[in-house]
Amino acid sequence: MADGPTILRRNRPGTKAEDFSRWPDEPFEEMDSTLAVQQYIQQMIRRDPSNIDLILNMPEANDEGVWKYEHLRQFCMELNGLAVRLQEECHPETCTQMTATEQISIKESSVAKLGSVCRRVYRIFSHAYFHHRTIFDEFENETFLCRRFTSFVTKYNLMSKDNLIVPIMEGDGATESEA
Amino acid sequence: MKVPSQFCGATMEDSCSPASQNHNGQLAGGANVSIANNKHQGGSDNGSNGDAKDQRPQYSMPGILHFIQHEWARFELERSQWELDRAEFQARIAFLQGERKGQENLKNDLVRRIKMLEYALKQERARYHKLKYGTDLIMQGDIKPPLYEEDTTCNISESGGGVGGSAGSGGGSGGGGGDGEASFTSVSNVSWRQGRQLLRQYLQEIGYTDTIIDVRSNRVRSLLGLNNNTDTEEMNTPALNGNEGVQDKQEYNESLVRRGKQQHPPKKQQPSSIAEAMILDTEAAVIANFEFLGHTDMDMEEEEGDVEDEIYDANTDTKPNKTSMPLLGEDVDTDAEAEEVLNELNLLTEIEESPPGSIYLEKNSHSKWNAIDMHRELQLDPRHSNKEGDSTLELGELEQLCVNNDAEISYDIVSTTKETFRKTWNAKYTLRSHFDAVRALVFHPTDPVLITASDDHTLKLWNLHKTVPAKKSASLDVEPLYTFRSHTGPVLCLAMCSAGNRCYSGGLDGNIHCWTLPSANIDPYDSYEPSVLSHTLTGHTNAVWGLSMYHLRATMLSFSADGTVKLWAPQATQPLLNTYVSEQDGIPTSVDFIRDEPHKLVVAYEGACVVFDTETGAIVARLEANETKGVNRVVAHPTLPLVVAAHEDRHIRFYDHRSATLAHAMVAHLDAVTSLAVDPHGLYLLSGSHDCSIRLWNMDNKTCVQEITAHRKKFDESILDVAFHPSRPFIASAGADALAKVFV
Repeated sequence: MADGPTILRRNRPGTKAEDFSRWPDEPFEEMDSTLAVQQYIQQMIRRDPSNIDLILNMPEANDEGVWKYEHLRQFCMELNGLAVRLQEECHPETCTQMTATEQISIKESSVAKLGSVCRRVYRIFSHAYFHHRTIFDEFENETFLCRRFTSFVTKYNLMSKDNLIVPIMEGDGATESEA
Repeated sequence: MKVPSQFCGATMEDSCSPASQNHNGQLAGGANVSIANNKHQGGSDNGSNGDAKDQRPQYSMPGILHFIQHEWARFELERSQWELDRAEFQARIAFLQGERKGQENLKNDLVRRIKMLEYALKQERARYHKLKYGTDLIMQGDIKPPLYEEDTTCNISESGGGVGGSAGSGGGSGGGGGDGEASFTSVSNVSWRQGRQLLRQYLQEIGYTDTIIDVRSNRVRSLLGLNNNTDTEEMNTPALNGNEGVQDKQEYNESLVRRGKQQHPPKKQQPSSIAEAMILDTEAAVIANFEFLGHTDMDMEEEEGDVEDEIYDANTDTKPNKTSMPLLGEDVDTDAEAEEVLNELNLLTEIEESPPGSIYLEKNSHSKWNAIDMHRELQLDPRHSNKEGDSTLELGELEQLCVNNDAEISYDIVSTTKETFRKTWNAKYTLRSHFDAVRALVFHPTDPVLITASDDHTLKLWNLHKTVPAKKSASLDVEPLYTFRSHTGPVLCLAMCSAGNRCYSGGLDGNIHCWTLPSANIDPYDSYEPSVLSHTLTGHTNAVWGLSMYHLRATMLSFSADGTVKLWAPQATQPLLNTYVSEQDGIPTSVDFIRDEPHKLVVAYEGACVVFDTETGAIVARLEANETKGVNRVVAHPTLPLVVAAHEDRHIRFYDHRSATLAHAMVAHLDAVTSLAVDPHGLYLLSGSHDCSIRLWNMDNKTCVQEITAHRKKFDESILDVAFHPSRPFIASAGADALAKVFV
């Protein structure tokens, strides 16, 4: 993507799928955009989606509220992948206890409400895990999203541990079968 | 102009003798004996056979002739001058007559409205009386609805078009006349139109260039601006609603109930007849109308300045007002109403500022007083009826209808004056529910509806009439109505079919999905509807970066990072029609049909734009300038043989695709130009760039009309797409900052 001496981080029309957003990392300190946090998080995920600790490691001089908020946005965004897979299989008829609406009901909200958003998001994970296990595993193998989410809510204490019912993080190996 | 004849004669005489020499010299070859004679005698003074005239040396024959000729020429000149003056005056007369006609129409409309209102008031009183005393009130006046002119009737019959198309209707009446583009229905309009034609003819005859330019610029504005109302009306089949007429109203009411905005138990009280519906309709329009009128009246002294500001002020100011009127304030779809008030406001502010304003103003203020009185009376009445809790639903219906009607009346005057004052676009709606960069957007062909596609793997459907209360003052937030999910990567491009019921999206995953649009009035939290995704066009093996529709044949072009351009008939059983590849150029970066020669298509590559023949797939022409590099977007002009290309090197280049020559090149932005859109009439060009701004260009002289800083940067990307609404005065931009914005 870099043409000339300066690196232009752009996806020009005609960019191949494998080259999409594949540009040299930009150090967080050099990001002067208002969207720097999102840029940084996405950059970290792109580099290695399984390196959850690195992804969740907040750079210096950052507002923690923004950091949590941007992470949650990113979760919601990536959750689309799960939603797409689930929408063929998970219907109100088959899964009566959870309607599809809650998958898209997350709006931008204040930082104080992040916790309740997290519970709802987690509900999707847990539903997928217990009722659509194959889809869940497939998705998790690509994105490590549930792991990241679990680490995220644990790290920032956004949900109580009792509610984290998907046995995915326990002991980092006990239920490692799907990784 | 006129020169005194004495003076003129003297001049003639003075110049007589030298001129005669000359003159005769010129005529020497002729067989004119007298002239020959003249020369002989005038020159040598022999005088053997001359008559009395010739004796006098100061009156030579050629001199006289010359003088007569000169006089004749002078008279001719004067005559033509008079003719010219006459034509000018005639034009002036025609113009003034036209103006008068327009004002008469306005007056008639207002009178009609007043009549309607009176009638509605009577009805309301009768009803109130009946409910209170249980007996019918004996009406002394006529209880019949007043007579309507034919245009009203026609308008009502069309008013079932649906909520979605509310503001875009009203081709019926309209004395103002939208420059002959609009299809008028009433007879009076035909004569008005003829008068206008005549006027234009005169103007052309006398070379009244200023006026012609004015007319033209008016036209330009009207084409871009609200004048499209008529077209919209015609196309405004209830595509999105799928319901018609009363059925539709019913549904509308039901949706009102569902949204819980109702405070009173709903009674299914349909208007008993078209006539009643019409009255109710007018009533509501008038209420809104008058309320607003009262308002401007107060504001009038202080507000001379910016029209747009005024609109916003009044709009926000009006809202509290509304709540003071319980009937309207609670039951009615607020945005529709706001828009209506806005329209009315536009209309009036512009009347006030229009050049022949003196008469307008007088009429206006006159009707204003009436209006305010009426308004007060009305305000009393609904309160009573409100206690009974009846007629609430009627107003719901009214609202729906009256928007149509409103468009109709505003059309009358607005079409002539409004566009004159529409000079700038302002951000009105912000679409902020995407999680990541918005790559593409496309408008519905007729409704105020658009779809956006984003790097967050989704598409979203937005109805600009469904706004949520704005957090900030200036712009309105819109909540997405539906999220299309099926792509497993960023969605890069969009296209919409001509009927507005299907759209197509291409993604980084290489798929082109075909979607059936849900209703523009769908509940955002409704359950997942699998039929929305109708089918998928597969064939590309890499990211699909661009789509382009050719509406007349319902064919679509797509191009992909796999190096191919494909032609599809998306609804056919065998959708893939053709594939185009240019080996030497590599991967395409944009594609469009050539609109004036639809058997051709233009594909942008890194180094040049290449014109293909759609049938044979052969390369017809190559469009390249010397340093052409990095085309990001190519669009074809809707009518001219012009292809416009947006370049990474900050340039916009215009090519004549027939001669394959560069027509114009300009540095258009401070950074790479990413996106282009040409307005439906081909008069304006909209460009978006990574410099965070969108710019509007006059296609004619390639000058920038307006620049708007619209989006922020994410990495080195900012604005990724721009679009014109095909039939309404909306433009939109999509940004890497996950926002889309709509300007009005």
